[in-house]
Amino acid sequence: MSDKIDLRFGSNDVRLTPREWAIALPAIVAVLSLMPVVWAFIEPLRLEPDHRLPFSLGNDYWMYGRLCRAAAAQGKTLVVGDSVVWGHYVPKEETLSAHLNRLAGEERFANLGVDGIHPAAMLGLVEHHGEAIRRRNVVLHCNLLWTSSPRHDLSTEKEFPFNHPTLVPQFAPRIPCYREPFGERLGIAIERRLPFHAWKKHVQIAWFGGSDVASWTLGHPYECPVAAVTLELPSPNEPPSPRPDARPWAEQGLARQSFAWVELDQSLQWRLFRQAVQLLRSRGNRIFVVLGPFNEHMLTEESRAAYAARRLAVEDWLSYHNIPYFCPDPLPSALYADASHPLAEGYELLARQLFANDAFITFDRSRK
Amino acid sequence: MLFHTWVFAVFFLVVYPVYLATRGTRLQIPWLLFASYVFYGWWNPLYLLLIVTSTSADYLAVLGMSRGHRRKPWVAFSVLVNLGMLAFFKYAGFVTQSLNDFFQAVGIPYAVPVPDILLPVGISFFVFQSMTYTIDCYRGAMDREPCFLRYATYVSLFPQLVAGPIERSTNLLRQLRERPPITRHDVADGLSLFLVGLFKKRALADYLAMYVDPVYARPDQFGGLALLLATVAFAWQIYFDFSGYTDMARGLGRMMGLRLMLNFRNPYLATGLGDFWRRWHISLSTWFKDYVYLPLGGNRKGEVRTHVNMAATMVISGLWHGAKWTFVIWGALHALGRVATRRLESTQFYAERIPTTVKRLLVFAFVAFAWVFFRARTVGDAWLIVRRIFGAAWADPRFPLLAIGLLAAVWAYQWVYESKLRDALLASSPVRTGLAVSMALYIAFCCGGGDKAFIYFQF
Repeated sequence: MSDKIDLRFGSNDVRLTPREWAIALPAIVAVLSLMPVVWAFIEPLRLEPDHRLPFSLGNDYWMYGRLCRAAAAQGKTLVVGDSVVWGHYVPKEETLSAHLNRLAGEERFANLGVDGIHPAAMLGLVEHHGEAIRRRNVVLHCNLLWTSSPRHDLSTEKEFPFNHPTLVPQFAPRIPCYREPFGERLGIAIERRLPFHAWKKHVQIAWFGGSDVASWTLGHPYECPVAAVTLELPSPNEPPSPRPDARPWAEQGLARQSFAWVELDQSLQWRLFRQAVQLLRSRGNRIFVVLGPFNEHMLTEESRAAYAARRLAVEDWLSYHNIPYFCPDPLPSALYADASHPLAEGYELLARQLFANDAFITFDRSRK
Repeated sequence: MLFHTWVFAVFFLVVYPVYLATRGTRLQIPWLLFASYVFYGWWNPLYLLLIVTSTSADYLAVLGMSRGHRRKPWVAFSVLVNLGMLAFFKYAGFVTQSLNDFFQAVGIPYAVPVPDILLPVGISFFVFQSMTYTIDCYRGAMDREPCFLRYATYVSLFPQLVAGPIERSTNLLRQLRERPPITRHDVADGLSLFLVGLFKKRALADYLAMYVDPVYARPDQFGGLALLLATVAFAWQIYFDFSGYTDMARGLGRMMGLRLMLNFRNPYLATGLGDFWRRWHISLSTWFKDYVYLPLGGNRKGEVRTHVNMAATMVISGLWHGAKWTFVIWGALHALGRVATRRLESTQFYAERIPTTVKRLLVFAFVAFAWVFFRARTVGDAWLIVRRIFGAAWADPRFPLLAIGLLAAVWAYQWVYESKLRDALLASSPVRTGLAVSMALYIAFCCGGGDKAFIYFQF
């Protein structure tokens, strides 16, 4: 037999005593916990009029949370939703919240839309990163486009990549097209509860092209990572990439569509939208839902009838739960860029309609 | 289940408190066995059939030995079952493919069907560990373990199950019997080892892999300097990857009151190839020494036979790593190197006249050169890399300065660790604490969230 088995402690260890660990562990936890808080003081947040999350920070949930805190601190009414609220086809001065501000005569509404988000992800966003908007007035946009096909609804069994997978429910309810391994989901479920993780992603997205520092050095081998953190953030007015064609849908050559609508009582996105509503209400938010306006001009007769039935069902649910809402008639056809996104004039018209709506006026007056 | 993932964190946070709570009771070993099987079955529950087969065969073999007069057939049975499993799962594809290549080369129009077998994770490790018990019992170095569950726990203990250290029954099985107490110093030591291992894996090995992988995937696309740097980077990557795993395994073991053997001892500070193999994957090299080299005759049968034994052991060791000709060549290169330098290393000239730093650099250069064959996808790729290192233009390699800085820091740390400065530096509590905090924060701030598997899992 070879010499006695070597059971020495280590060969290049850093061996801490229990007492040293009692110092090291709290120190590590303190740095990781305080970093996101301290960073908010280091990194200037220059809020512009009608500010919105810069397009390239669309996955930066820490920044979203920061915008929520800033808007909530100013007592604004928060307009929450997908790219319709964010204003995919328009500059930030032409979004729904911008037009509402113009009509209100003051910066009263904050654009908390996120380009590319959908109800399943919106639930996670509000739950994990929107804590600051607790007890505030929230205008929540409901876009039935997300029920327009099993794929939009995420209820298809066929796996495909979709936006914001780290925000969707990881275990329940089951999302059929989401097939991440259990370990991956568990990691996501844990990490999204850690403010440090969201902050780290913010730094990566803002200055390291979305990759971690180590990976970034491979593309920039002779640059100093610390120098890359310039604290300069993208403009909220940067257009989406690729730049969208901001012309009426008919001019773009888009044809009428016949959607394979998902039954509302089986729709995953509708179910998760309702959960988001319940979550906000449980947090003391006063909610006003804007349903649509969907571009019904773009639908075939059959599809339009199916849409109308769903719209009615949503209205019933909102009424039943005493949630004030506004469901405008479709805007003129030329004011839509696609199936659900208005153009600038469309937003203006929608804002005017809202300000003429009694339920909205009552809701707006309830703002603290 | 990888140590550096959230799944493992949750797993350990469940397993460890129950392990502590059941300490001193009859439930502790069953719980540890259950946890270990969950850990291993996480990859594929069918793999459990293999580990149960290997465990049962060796338990039965030793039981048979203890009850009968004929002991040899039982050892043969154990070796046959274990090596048979290894041969089937690891080498069947390699052997049939090599046969087909041979048939094609000599113009025989026949091809053996190549079996498409998935290699179970860590099979080479647990098979060796299980077999060790039977051989040790046969030699009288170990007494029979009456409790099957305890023996099964020894074979499958989750911290070291899939990539070692390959424990001897004389060490680990005895500890499982005696159940040494767990002190807060054990927990602190375990955390220390785990942190260092995690740093090696996440901050160093995975980082270097990002440079090495694309270069070795397309060696024809890179210049000589890039290939050279990728080779040096791989030498460090595999060390950090494997020793990082070992450190984490030993740390977990320590927290559970179990002392697993040292597996690495700053191998790149070795001053000779013999010294290198006393520092690199110690549990495997001593295994081969005890169960292959010495039974072959070791150095007791003259100079020539010693060299033959040494070379055979190295080639088998190469083949143990994987069923590819690249591993065979890697083993053969080390065999050649060892045979060629054995005499030299024992001379006074080498010991006294050549500066230690030069010796270390020479050993590192040779070991890194051999790693080319270990890492390359094919023998053809390996030759291409060697040729291009010396022949292709040395264009800008775009090797990150951060990687150079990290490697320099680690090399300096290892050098300090083996020098007289060690006590002066590491005796200082603020230095140790500061190092630990820095490592943890570096991992948190700078490393990605990937879950890259350990290199040695494939063996």
